[in-house]
Amino acid sequence: MKFKFTIEGLDCPNCAAKLASMMEKLDGVDSAKINFLSEKLTVESDLAEDTLLALLRKTAKTFESGITIN
Amino acid sequence: MKRILKSELFKIIAGLIFFIPGAILSHLGYTTVSLVLLIAALLICGLSVFIGAVKGILRRDFLDEKFLMSIASVGAFVIGEATEGVAVMLFFLVGEFFEHKAVRRSRSAIKELLDICPDTARVIVDGEESEEDAEDVEVGSTIIVRPGERVPIDSRIISGACRLDTSSLTGESMPRDAGEGDEVDSGVVVLDGAITCVTIRSHSASRASVVLELVENARERKSREENFITKFSRIYTPTVTGLAILMALIPWICGLLSWQTSVYRALSFLVVSCPCALVISVPMAFFGGIGAAASKGILYKGGNTFSPISRVESIVFDKTGTLTTGEFSVADIHSEIEEGELLSLLASAEHNSNHPIARCLKSLVKDYTPAENIRDLPGKGIIAKVGECEIAVGNLLLMSEVGADVQLDGYSVYAARDGEFIGAVLVRDTVKSEAAEAIASLRKLGVKSTYILSGDRESEVISVGRELDVDHVHHSLMPEDKYEILEGIIDRSSGGVVYVGDGINDAPCLTRADVGIAMGGKGTDSAIESADAVIISDNLMKLSDTVRIARKTLNISKQNIVFAIGVKVLAMILVALGLVGMWLAVFADVGVAVLAILNSMRTLKTK
Repeated sequence: MKFKFTIEGLDCPNCAAKLASMMEKLDGVDSAKINFLSEKLTVESDLAEDTLLALLRKTAKTFESGITIN
Repeated sequence: MKRILKSELFKIIAGLIFFIPGAILSHLGYTTVSLVLLIAALLICGLSVFIGAVKGILRRDFLDEKFLMSIASVGAFVIGEATEGVAVMLFFLVGEFFEHKAVRRSRSAIKELLDICPDTARVIVDGEESEEDAEDVEVGSTIIVRPGERVPIDSRIISGACRLDTSSLTGESMPRDAGEGDEVDSGVVVLDGAITCVTIRSHSASRASVVLELVENARERKSREENFITKFSRIYTPTVTGLAILMALIPWICGLLSWQTSVYRALSFLVVSCPCALVISVPMAFFGGIGAAASKGILYKGGNTFSPISRVESIVFDKTGTLTTGEFSVADIHSEIEEGELLSLLASAEHNSNHPIARCLKSLVKDYTPAENIRDLPGKGIIAKVGECEIAVGNLLLMSEVGADVQLDGYSVYAARDGEFIGAVLVRDTVKSEAAEAIASLRKLGVKSTYILSGDRESEVISVGRELDVDHVHHSLMPEDKYEILEGIIDRSSGGVVYVGDGINDAPCLTRADVGIAMGGKGTDSAIESADAVIISDNLMKLSDTVRIARKTLNISKQNIVFAIGVKVLAMILVALGLVGMWLAVFADVGVAVLAILNSMRTLKTK
């Protein structure tokens, strides 16, 4: 399933790429793309939306404070 | 982003409130009081940076700018240079603040352009109007659109008439009239007169959503310059950290300098070497460029196309829908009977047809009696009954079939009444009004050769080519022929080759060319998907804007690279020799970053 979220609070395009590659390594996540300019996070995953969102938020938190995903 | 900017500004001001008296008192010799004030300032400004540095270390990716800044400011405190330790953090915050402001501006320029598709629709259920999420509206629902509003979903008008502003999708500035039975695309604005429509597609399959989806979900394609910077910083940061460690140890071990001085120089060196100016200056220039293009109605999928488009040497155009509007107009009428009667008979016969040529013929006549017993003869035309007569409208094959004697050739449609030839009409695709000027201005920008690759008839293509002063014209092509010819052009060109098209058959060429540019208004989905950039309004004048923006963007990114590396190398040498202190080191880092960002913002202002 493909999920689309809004991701806000990222510092720079570099950080966006780093965070996306961290998310890609998560179990149950097939691919993760962050478009820094449009603040869109696109994730392909078999997980349920709630579980996935919680997982992504947790990852973002270990990466940098102040990132919100919706 | 707004929240981040606010908190950064707050930190900067609060930090300064503690920093300024702290720095003055420290200068006057009140060490204890000043130290308390400076530590407070450091925590206000730097706490989140420290946390970021620790998080970086925890995920084993610790050589980033937060780490460098933390080491430098804490190190400065340790060797008794507290004022400079706070200054490092303060300046770093100022740099971040500017960077985020710049990103926000680029973003809002792009968002404004993408804001062509409303999220809600006014749905009529049992005579009651209610506002609903456009995504939940089912096909076949009745919606109402009021003056000043955008059509949220592709629909057909069932009552009411209005004028439509289609400029955001088609670039056509003249309002279009629409009435009962007409289809309206999502994204167009209703200027006057409310319309009630029935939706013919879902929100996500509607025109505006499809265009946006393709652009937003584009794979992030990075430019060579951006990739260079990413690779560069991967080697750069560990190298300078190593050098800094050597600088701290060697002079001290050799007994040349005191340990404080060695460490001070090493820390200053670390601050100078922070790669953030470099790492952000180039992407910022490209964001500026993408934003500038967006504000002119050109959507780029990434920064990688700026380089080839700035070196553009050849531009290859598709004809129908790209150089021409795809709408037909009458070029010549040959009439054996009274002309008005001929046109009225043609319109009657074509009454049911929605072919572009039929639409053109019908638009010539205000009132006509719809024909009866219309028979479609594929590949030939139609035969219908108008009043007491049998009218045949179609090609020469049909004329000979009904026994009409025609001594003419080269017309698009022929007509016969009861087997007797009554006239013929030549229709032509209308060349876009700006096309000639657009090609001329591209030539002024240094484009050496222009091409038309078209599947259309020889005479048609040649006449368009002549009208627009195009250098090379290829006609009667199959899609694979187009691709082959394009490959030949690419092989012969030393500069960039740009392909501009709109149809499904253009998709392979749009992918193959150095830069593929699709028409967003009339373009097919596959064309938009294959292209590197999309001209939302279909206006060809945007092509020269694109070239100018790309050139400026590249220039600025190069200036930024040279400037940032130059200043840094110079500052590193001065710092290593002990000629300048940490203040200048901070300027060489943050100052350069801010200047590079301000320079990048100039791309947004490209005319």
